[in-house]
Amino acid sequence: MIITEKKDRKHLLEKIKEYNSFFLLGCSECASLCGTGGEPELVEMKELLESEGKKVTGTFVAKTGCQVLGTKVEIKKNFKSEADEAECILVMSCGAGTQSAVDIYKDKPVYPTNDSLFLGNMTRMQIFDERCSLCGECILEQTGGICPVTACPKGILNGPCGGTNEGKCEVSPDVDCAWTRIYNRLKAINRLDDMKEISKPKNWSAHKKPMTLNVREKKEEGKK
Amino acid sequence: MSFKEALNSGKFTVTAEAGPPKGTDIKKIVHECELLKGKVDAVNVTDNQSAVMRISSTSFCKIILDMGLEPILQMTCRDRNRIGLQSDLLGASILGIKNVLCMTGDHPNAGDHKEAKTVYDIESAQLLRVVDGLNNGKDMMGNDLQGATDFFQGAVVTPEANPIEPQLMKFEKKIDAGANFFQTQAIYDIDKFKEFMSHARKFPVKVLAGLVLLKSAGMANFMNKFVPGINVPAELIGELKEAGKEKALDAGIDIMARHIKQLKDENICDGVHIMAIGAEDKVPEIMERAGLL
Ligand code: SF4
Ligand code: SF4
Repeated sequence: MIITEKKDRKHLLEKIKEYNSFFLLGCSECASLCGTGGEPELVEMKELLESEGKKVTGTFVAKTGCQVLGTKVEIKKNFKSEADEAECILVMSCGAGTQSAVDIYKDKPVYPTNDSLFLGNMTRMQIFDERCSLCGECILEQTGGICPVTACPKGILNGPCGGTNEGKCEVSPDVDCAWTRIYNRLKAINRLDDMKEISKPKNWSAHKKPMTLNVREKKEEGKK
Repeated sequence: MSFKEALNSGKFTVTAEAGPPKGTDIKKIVHECELLKGKVDAVNVTDNQSAVMRISSTSFCKIILDMGLEPILQMTCRDRNRIGLQSDLLGASILGIKNVLCMTGDHPNAGDHKEAKTVYDIESAQLLRVVDGLNNGKDMMGNDLQGATDFFQGAVVTPEANPIEPQLMKFEKKIDAGANFFQTQAIYDIDKFKEFMSHARKFPVKVLAGLVLLKSAGMANFMNKFVPGINVPAELIGELKEAGKEKALDAGIDIMARHIKQLKDENICDGVHIMAIGAEDKVPEIMERAGLL
């Protein structure tokens, strides 16, 4: 899921100070789990804005904020007048959710209330770890299922750098060395040979921004 | 005799490290390099060591080349993508630089520009392959070069890395990728180093033992605590302490000279790489006490 964190509230209020009325848009998926854009956070934001003398015309937690069409239908059906009335839409999900709202409200300012941090695994309630950085060409099969592109601060292939230190990374004693983890894992599953071959330089062009994917078109092509 | 010829001839080869300064005033380091002339086989020039921004390694290599010393160009993967690395290697080649030490490079987190974008497009083993390709007239994409390079390429290894197994796997990968020589992380325990060498001797590569000059007991304790793969034994720290503040550097020089002598006399490795870290002017004295001059 997409991990988000609330922006500093003082900073946020400064950015939106010229507007007087807001519609708050949350998301029931990742942002709710992160505690940045679910029902309680929307209530909190409403109270904050009202305490600053601002008007909140309506609040809504979208089902899936990054789904542009679905979110548009939901808002237009249930909150059209409230959203239309607001001078500014405040989006309390991730950067993708914010840009759904930009698509929906072409003539209204849209502001994010959160910083989007990474694609994360939730290891326990509201504890998140970055495991994959969406590089576009997965190599987990070579590395015992642990991603060096993400877990190693240098993102290097081919084994530990000179900074590896008793299982920890040179960058911080709080970070485990990805390559020591990979080594231990390959040993445990009896696949150390996977580490012996020199990995070719990674094809970074597999993630060329901005990425798009049209599954429907691909399916059509497949039929031909 | 060139550095490559020295190593291949079986001569006990000596290199010293030079770290270019931050800023354009190079009087001090040029003077220190002058002192090394006719003494060491090559001078190894660091590439923004510890991720602290300084004069480019290539530029300073050219300066010492013109002084009549043989440079080893350290090249890290931290700051340049594959286009930059290959282009700089071709550039170094036309300047007459013959030796390159391929490294991944310290993370910017350690240095003085912590907000820098890290590159690490490739890493040390892959860079060795790139150098091998350039030597064979091909770039990384297999395109023909108009004129190949003629580099003698090496790499680094940490004999006391913990855990050691992945380090040794990487050591072998680097050999497969074309490393001709290795420079080690600083070693202080010769018996432990012998164990590493008995493994390394199975491969057709030359090994220069890395030696960092100890200047005080405090420095030794600091390295033990903070530098991965460095273990200064308690006896040596005792020796430095006993010497007292005034004489600690002298004791450090003695320790290094003694180690060099033992490495050479017992034919443990193919040479040494001396890192004097700020006391480069002491290198001739170290060599003298080791009986090399
Ligand atoms: S290799 Fe790429 S796709 Fe696979 S886990 Fe790592 S970043 Fe994600
Ligand atoms: S210590 Fe390990 S995790 Fe850290 S940069 Fe080096 S190889 Fe990567």
